[in-house]
Amino acid sequence: MPNAMTSRERVLAALRNEPTDRTPVCNPTSVATVELMDLVDAPFPQANREPELMARLAATGYTELGFDTIMPVFTIIQESSALGCKIQWEQKDNWPTVKMREPIWEDVDDIVIPKDFLTHPDTQCVLEAIKILKKEYGDEVAVIGKTMGPWSLGYHCFGVEPFLLLSLDDPGKTKLALDRMKEATVQFGVAQIEAGADALTLPDHATGDLVSGEYYERYLRDLHIEFVDRIPIPLILHICGRTVDRMEYIAQTGMAAFHYDSKNEPKESMDIVQKRIALVGNINNPETLFSKAPEDVKTEVLKNLEAGVPLIGPECAIPLQTTIENLQAIPEVVQGWHKEKIRTEAT
Amino acid sequence: MRRVVDIGRRIELVPMDPHFNDISIGLYRQNTNHGHDTPVFLVHTYSRISGAAERIEAVVEAMQVLGGLLKNGDGLLHFPCNSLHEAACRRVFLEACKLASDTPAEPRPLNILDKKSKLTITVDSIGEGVYRVSAEGEGRGAARRVSAIAGGLAKLGEMETVETDNRDTVAFACGESHDALVGLLLTRAPNVRIVLREEDMGAGRGVLSAPSQQT
Repeated sequence: MPNAMTSRERVLAALRNEPTDRTPVCNPTSVATVELMDLVDAPFPQANREPELMARLAATGYTELGFDTIMPVFTIIQESSALGCKIQWEQKDNWPTVKMREPIWEDVDDIVIPKDFLTHPDTQCVLEAIKILKKEYGDEVAVIGKTMGPWSLGYHCFGVEPFLLLSLDDPGKTKLALDRMKEATVQFGVAQIEAGADALTLPDHATGDLVSGEYYERYLRDLHIEFVDRIPIPLILHICGRTVDRMEYIAQTGMAAFHYDSKNEPKESMDIVQKRIALVGNINNPETLFSKAPEDVKTEVLKNLEAGVPLIGPECAIPLQTTIENLQAIPEVVQGWHKEKIRTEAT
Repeated sequence: MRRVVDIGRRIELVPMDPHFNDISIGLYRQNTNHGHDTPVFLVHTYSRISGAAERIEAVVEAMQVLGGLLKNGDGLLHFPCNSLHEAACRRVFLEACKLASDTPAEPRPLNILDKKSKLTITVDSIGEGVYRVSAEGEGRGAARRVSAIAGGLAKLGEMETVETDNRDTVAFACGESHDALVGLLLTRAPNVRIVLREEDMGAGRGVLSAPSQQT
């Protein structure tokens, strides 16, 4: 099938709910693996801290895997590091994490966005990597950045348990805390737009396991509506876990897309959001992509295509030991499905 | 241009080789050996740093010694019986990667001292791919340990359990002997649960959890 659109055009059209020549394959989160790190000599943790390595590793999502997007922000800790959190940087085969047992804030009044927030090496690295990718891949492919939402930052900076307890005990203070932390989300997001990002993933971990749909509506829906106004670029909200109980509220935010988890069925999710927000994701990571075969990946991709999900991709950052063949299977299946569809329609 | 080519299905991965610059080394299965529908195995790294190819060659050589695998003209490995024995091959690969390139691999004997029971455990080939486990010494619970170790061999090598009163006999489905392979599996068979637990823990590394799931 001839490609009438570039990868970038395809992704951005889908995020605007406009027609595409085929369903784009999109990774709002990392598709880095240890083998891809070796291929381009850009291993973790350096690829999270040095812009040239970050850009080189991210580009493999397009050049080697055949995705329509490049997403260089592999981790969820870049801005937390810039806010002052202690980071366990780990080795090549594992993810860096925030040491949440050593929180940096205890009270709302402790919340301060440092003056050097955007010039800190770990936020600068992202901005520089986006500039490199934009220069190299220009209009060819969509470059997606990432800015963490205030709920996620709350976990990182206050610790998961203290932040959740605060939300139970003192809703007023919690809203004030979110309101102060949201400035980090906006600042980093806008800086990535200026660096050349085409869209931004906005993870805000009000996850299905700990936070209810009612909580999402109470604490986050209006904040997310505000982000749409203040960060003028297609935003892809990411929340892990079963989230059908909040998809109605998410669809009201005006975000371009929701990056959704395999714990939600594609059809039931599409039925809820209708066409108010695009869906992307759902291909299971820990079981299917990590430990099963391309045939199993195919089954899940087809399920999404047949439900009308407008962008196809993994549900979250993929495990670092995922096989390349399983990842390559995603665009292959998408392209094969469209070819078959055209053939069937022609006969 | 895409640099990743189809090299078969990856069946095992060492994500960081402790003996050579933390490169990843994969074991890939292909289904055709020189036009015949028999499985072959490729040891491969995507790393292109100087010395990586030599490290891969060292692992391939160690696998031939430790597991009795043969190398074909394309540098691919296969068992002499041309059967798959995938789980056993994965085990051979993992053990070969544990050896530094300058450490010569040596075939493992068909007997070990079982630290748990203080018994000497011996495995005898009795032909047609059948192996019998026996115990010698002053240790306790010999029958139970023999049965457990036979079970360990079956699990690690995907061997079949042969019905005997002592549950001491296992066999390869291919009907051929694999002494080197059995010697290698025997070193891990007494602690098979620990081996499997270690593998599970290793597989869990590199899976990103939501912040609420992190400690």
